[in-house]
Amino acid sequence: MKHIDMFKKIASNPAEYAQGWKKQTHGRVVGHFCSYTPEELITAADALPFRILGSGTTISKAGEFLQAYSCSLVRGALEDALTGRLDFLDGTVFPHTCDSIQRLSDIWRMNTNYGFHADLIMPVKLDTESAEQYMLTVIHKFRKDLEAGLGTKITDAMLEKAVRTSNQVRNLLAALYEIRKASPGKIKSSDLHTIIKASMVMDRGLLADLLGEVVTALEEQRDDTASKPKRLVLSGGLCSMPDIYDIIESSGGAVVWDDFCTGARYFEGRIDETGDLEKNIARRYMSRIVCPAKHSGIFSRGGHLVEKVKENNADGVIFIFLKFCDPHAFDYPYMKEMLQKEGIPSILFEIEEQTSSGGQLRTRCEAFMEML
Amino acid sequence: MLTAGIDVGSISAKAAIIQDNRLLGVRVILTGYNAQNAGRQVFDQVLLELGLTASGIDRIVATGYGRNSIQFADKAITEITCHAAGGIFLNPAIRSIIDIGGQDSKAIVIDKNGKVQNFSMNDKCAAGTGRFLEVMARALEVDLDAFGELSLHADNTASISSLCTVFAESEVISLISKGAKRENIIAGIHASIASRIIAMGARIGITPPVMMTGGVAKNIGVVKALEKKLNTPIIVSEYAQVNGAIGAALIASTM
Amino acid sequence: MTAMEKIKDPEKEKRKIKSDKKMRAIMAAYYMEAKTPKEITGKKIAWITSGGPVEPLHVMDVIPIYPENYGAMIGASKMGVELCEKSEQMGYSSDLCSYARADIACATVNGGPIGGLPAPDMLICCNNICGTVLKWYEVQARYFNVPLFILDTPICHTEFNPDMKRYVTAQIKEYITLLEKICGKPFDYDRMKEVGRLSVQGQKLWQEILDTTMNRPAPMTCFDAFFHLAMIVTLRGTQIAVDYYESLLQEMKDRIAQGIGMLPEEKYRLVWDNIPVWYKLRWLSDKFAAHSACLVADTYTSGWCGTMKYLDENDFLGSLAEMYTRIFLNTGTDIMADNIIKMVEKYEVDGVVFHSNRSCKPYSLGQYDIQRLIKEKVGIPTLMIEADMTDERSFSESQVETRIDAFIEMLR
Repeated sequence: MKHIDMFKKIASNPAEYAQGWKKQTHGRVVGHFCSYTPEELITAADALPFRILGSGTTISKAGEFLQAYSCSLVRGALEDALTGRLDFLDGTVFPHTCDSIQRLSDIWRMNTNYGFHADLIMPVKLDTESAEQYMLTVIHKFRKDLEAGLGTKITDAMLEKAVRTSNQVRNLLAALYEIRKASPGKIKSSDLHTIIKASMVMDRGLLADLLGEVVTALEEQRDDTASKPKRLVLSGGLCSMPDIYDIIESSGGAVVWDDFCTGARYFEGRIDETGDLEKNIARRYMSRIVCPAKHSGIFSRGGHLVEKVKENNADGVIFIFLKFCDPHAFDYPYMKEMLQKEGIPSILFEIEEQTSSGGQLRTRCEAFMEML
Repeated sequence: MLTAGIDVGSISAKAAIIQDNRLLGVRVILTGYNAQNAGRQVFDQVLLELGLTASGIDRIVATGYGRNSIQFADKAITEITCHAAGGIFLNPAIRSIIDIGGQDSKAIVIDKNGKVQNFSMNDKCAAGTGRFLEVMARALEVDLDAFGELSLHADNTASISSLCTVFAESEVISLISKGAKRENIIAGIHASIASRIIAMGARIGITPPVMMTGGVAKNIGVVKALEKKLNTPIIVSEYAQVNGAIGAALIASTM
Repeated sequence: MTAMEKIKDPEKEKRKIKSDKKMRAIMAAYYMEAKTPKEITGKKIAWITSGGPVEPLHVMDVIPIYPENYGAMIGASKMGVELCEKSEQMGYSSDLCSYARADIACATVNGGPIGGLPAPDMLICCNNICGTVLKWYEVQARYFNVPLFILDTPICHTEFNPDMKRYVTAQIKEYITLLEKICGKPFDYDRMKEVGRLSVQGQKLWQEILDTTMNRPAPMTCFDAFFHLAMIVTLRGTQIAVDYYESLLQEMKDRIAQGIGMLPEEKYRLVWDNIPVWYKLRWLSDKFAAHSACLVADTYTSGWCGTMKYLDENDFLGSLAEMYTRIFLNTGTDIMADNIIKMVEKYEVDGVVFHSNRSCKPYSLGQYDIQRLIKEKVGIPTLMIEADMTDERSFSESQVETRIDAFIEMLR
């Protein structure tokens, strides 16, 4: 695939990329923890939005600050922060999501010193008028906090350009997913995952250009009609599991869609480029299918998953989330039940970022494929 | 048609030969640290015992944690699918299988054809596996093989509630120092392992008739503890330990 | 010999809190009314989170039920393991909050010490205490198929700003509207003033009761506070709570006047942090008492009177947004640390006991930093007990025993 080597390089060492980017552009890097972060504002401030995912290194220092019953994303990210792996950050943004991130924000604020610290206390409810009103004030405050933290001014013109670029990127990522959906053999899921991972940390303008070329090249390629893999939808919250895609593909499966915040949810929804941009940004974050740490009706995630399985002609669902991830663990039983009612087989893989559980994951994956 | 199944686990390697849906023979050896060699060895040994040659075998399926390293096998299938196939062959009435091995445990729900409907595995944690029993046997200074028999003489089941093997061990030590009877402590250990297994099984809708496979099936105490918790008799075949290999050989015959 | 055994130990009798009996009777009556069929009481039932605004429910004559309080009762009755196992069989991870797990299972089997909670007509969920309650109440909303109201109180890491205030205040209005709809009657704003007044009075009394342990010797310990807490949580805003706490306060004052402490000897004074270990209260109480260590205060029980300062007593309904949003659990770890340090000074304490509670991330994550801050700023020893509030499987008696003994040795 065109440019895949570059994407691989960035995805395998995002910190190195960010450091290089800083040297080259003399720009600032703003780290954040969540797909609810309005990246557009960061880009508009001429800074690089950098999604922090934890480098997968062994936890030692972080254990002095966080108990073992917190998820490996939070422990891993803190480990990176405390061991100097994130020294290139000029600021960190913590959108409010789950209890663990909430406390990580405090611990981070009290024990690290990476430029400015901004808490983005978004509403947990995303389905009421008053919540949307409040969301708007949060977006507006964030703009001010960014301006203060970076010592810059975010003009409407810069914001418009940033919004346009982010919409472009989302369109292209969506196109890649559609290409894979139609012809799973054309794109390796591990490659697509690599692209998304890189998309969350690299220069968005450059990203838009590269993605455009990747999509064009793929569309010119012939469709792969020979292979008939088992079509799977992945559901959950995980963050940066690399091996799972290769394992699925080598077991005779193909991922055709997902509801990850580091997957389809990342590019879902576009921002209206005309009118009050802050309002339009708020609108996008209010109306995307929710992460389980947010509330928008009690059946929305389950309904969305069933819909995606049907839309994508999937044969089954693999639930993947981190051990100690409470929001996902609470949703799993009802979502599984909804799938069962529709006769859709599913399995759960609970994982931890630091353990390369290759053999165990492979066995489960293969056994699930053998079931379908 | 002659087919072979080779199950290479972390502790023992098993082989089974099937001919026209009849079990001809089985063999069990210790795996050691080279899975590939163990696979080769156990296969050769079972052939020797039955007076057969490798060239006479039409197809070989490998399973177990070492399945992908058995180069001479025609296909590698997971032990979940193989245990299901083996279990239904040994007893066509069963609908669920509980497999407790040295290092992991599984619960499998099957349909009347032996096809896997659902499964769950515990392979991250020692509690609920043979390892748990080993640790406790050491703490009690009792031969693990005697566990089953001893627990049948308990007049009270000690309560061991910890989720973690290390914590549970300290509970056992504490019980010993308080003068609790060995038999009662062992009964408590068995109840504890049964709890863990039941939780895993209930999540996937385990339904009777239930068969138990894997090395721990030899422990009558664990079997009884599971029967009590599930409120159903548990079927244990004499081929419990080699069930995976039998299933692999059967799958080979339908490929 | 039988005659001797029948005579109660006068020392022990003297130290027993006489009000305990009355408390038990009131709570029993409360649960009995709640479990009486609605055809007879004519009252609707609301399930509400421990940090939720209960006052409007009393205004509407809705009986408030606290699944968290029941979770504590389940723990104390040692029924937590069985219910948690059931929830795990239903597919819920064993790493989730044990209150939630126990309650989710309980609802399906009518379990727990009183044979289950009465089914709710509505669910009122305020996330000021944690994000878990949101998910827990969503589960119950699906199970019971009743309206779910969420009071979303933004977390105040370092500040409480006007935008947050506006948002929460707007939601209070939505809350009232929903109550009117469900109960089919208009909201009585005059009655709200009265209920508000009683709520404030109750909170003030509770604070005074907790303050009595500043005295040496302390007339009660935090274990007693854990027991008496239920009323300010469940019956806040009622005359019953005010009357009861007035009598409890009087008893404490009398004990102080007579020099009666809860412990025969008070060598060490300690603060407890986090939710209690409900199934081990007697064991913990005896263990510390055996060392003559008195747990004089705790961060948990003071949570229900700690934010009165943000209330405008003349406009309860209009100002309760800030009171509910700024509870200590909904603030930054450094603010929580300050809270404890203030308690250390106020109660003249020799050490702090932390319960690192697997079930409660907002309360437990950050404790290591708080431990460090206490060491830095006040220099007293601290103890970390790893356990769970309701799931006994996460408690290792020999481990905890060793830690307590070692801690006491540090205090000497």
